[in-house]
Amino acid sequence: MHETKAMLTGEIIGNRCTAPGHFLMTVRLPPSFATPAPGQFVMIRPTGRGEPLLARPFSVFDFHRIGDHCVLELLYRIAGGGTFLLSEMRPGETLALLGPLGRGFSLPAGVGRAVCVAGGVGVAPLHFLVRSGFLTAKGECPRAVIFYLGARTSDLLVGVERLRDVCDLRICTDDGSLGHRGPVTDLLKGDIGDYEPEQTVVFACGPTPMVRALACLWKENPAPCQVSLEERMACGIGACLGCVVAVGGPGRKTEYRRVCEDGPVFDLREILPTTALGTSGD
Amino acid sequence: MKMGAKSEKARGAAPDLGVAIGDMVLKNPVMTASGTFGYGEEYAPYVDLNRLGAIVVKGLSLDPRSGNPPPRIMETPSGMLNAVGLQNVGVRAFIDEKLPFLRRFDTAIVANIFGETVDEYRRMAEILERAEGVHAIEVNISCPNVKKGGIAFGARPELAAEATRGVRGETSLPLIVKLTPNVTDIAEIALAVEEAGADAVSLINTLTGMSVDIETRRPHLANVTGGLSGPAIRPVALRMVWQVVGAVKIPVIGIGGIMTAADALEFLIAGASAIQVGTANFVDPASLLKIRDGIEEYLACHKMASIAELIGSLHTDW
Repeated sequence: MHETKAMLTGEIIGNRCTAPGHFLMTVRLPPSFATPAPGQFVMIRPTGRGEPLLARPFSVFDFHRIGDHCVLELLYRIAGGGTFLLSEMRPGETLALLGPLGRGFSLPAGVGRAVCVAGGVGVAPLHFLVRSGFLTAKGECPRAVIFYLGARTSDLLVGVERLRDVCDLRICTDDGSLGHRGPVTDLLKGDIGDYEPEQTVVFACGPTPMVRALACLWKENPAPCQVSLEERMACGIGACLGCVVAVGGPGRKTEYRRVCEDGPVFDLREILPTTALGTSGD
Repeated sequence: MKMGAKSEKARGAAPDLGVAIGDMVLKNPVMTASGTFGYGEEYAPYVDLNRLGAIVVKGLSLDPRSGNPPPRIMETPSGMLNAVGLQNVGVRAFIDEKLPFLRRFDTAIVANIFGETVDEYRRMAEILERAEGVHAIEVNISCPNVKKGGIAFGARPELAAEATRGVRGETSLPLIVKLTPNVTDIAEIALAVEEAGADAVSLINTLTGMSVDIETRRPHLANVTGGLSGPAIRPVALRMVWQVVGAVKIPVIGIGGIMTAADALEFLIAGASAIQVGTANFVDPASLLKIRDGIEEYLACHKMASIAELIGSLHTDW
């Protein structure tokens, strides 16, 4: 018999409402939980309830090993029935958890500048990317990290304090309640000329309009841009084919790829603007 | 019963979980449901595949299929809708790229096939007949998420029989025909495929369903409709399995919202010779083996030496 991985049980130690409909959940996990790579995600559901039936995927917002256990932080907004039920869970209640899962961000060699672009709860994987030390761990010259953080309003911005210490944080809000007024990609547009492509790597996560705006912006700049995508998932491990996105690009076949297993991080240039492939499945 | 079985039982020997589906002998009745277990490799890090009765792989077509556009899934009360649209690598790539991995495990491998025409079914059967390591073929005449073929065959007895005969003519492998619940009389279809040479039937495939986002006023699935699976469909599935068990002589494989050993036992008691586990794999990859172990424990608790004592033991007298 061979060794197999199993779902772990995590205990909720915090599930704080950060803004209307937005929550930061803190979960205590056994030490056997593998240290996640930035951009990886976990699947969670309440234990022993039967509802929601399926676990929900969340990017890691932060992670620490403390003494004999691990602490995982997940940032989420209520997007439907499953996240609503999760938002009602209280400290002391337990979760069934699978992970860490998926392919996270990667760091090209010899790049001196990392530009992060986050919209809404899309801040989660980028917060962990910056906080984890991943960008500076390889002993190269210190990397400049410029973080464009956007949200609809200032109360929806999460992680500002923790990010401010470790990067050049540039804030945008749609209503102008803090920082630049307008979408995060507007602010980036003004700076883009300063970012030499061969010296820059971009990491992004946010709503579809942000990713589309980024794709337009990045037509002129060949710097590599890695985007973490979100889709509804059932299994989280590549079997159900529920979470696919259309990918393609010059010189490669257009096809559906799984966000859970082939992603969630994809090259911006391979993400197709529409969900449907040119050739129908039928 | 072999010599000495009684004394083994007295010592608390494990009950015999073996079942036969045509000429295929399974070490236990727990199979994976097609489309919920990939090609086995996806779940190998989580499940000791050697302990499964059988792996039924993702539905294969003659040529690769890209599937339906996303969104493809949506959770609904006690279940989920899916409209994946049979995205798969095609039968030849399955044999070349996926089967060698599966051959390493001591479990039965069942190739699930889908065709748009009888000729496609026939050609796939011919190709699989020659493949080393395929123990049986499950003929999907019941996919609700593709526009051609599939359910069109499964909804009419004469077409279901035609597809079955086509495959039967090309292979001596055990032949399982997977039935759709989206019909008026499933027993009639089961009888037709039995007559056409099926060695077993498996049921039910998903029930066609739909769900709407009231804010965007769009369906939750790009395909508009999808197949409903999970605990929500279990009573319907159990009723249909019981009806088909009463109608045919060939083994019946029960499928539909089986999440626990207790759920599986209901199907076995109703007469299913084996069961398939689908949506439960998504909820917890350990479900299959928990179900397998739970069945074994139940037999031991109820002092049954063999699962044969349990299958079809339903009492309907009051």
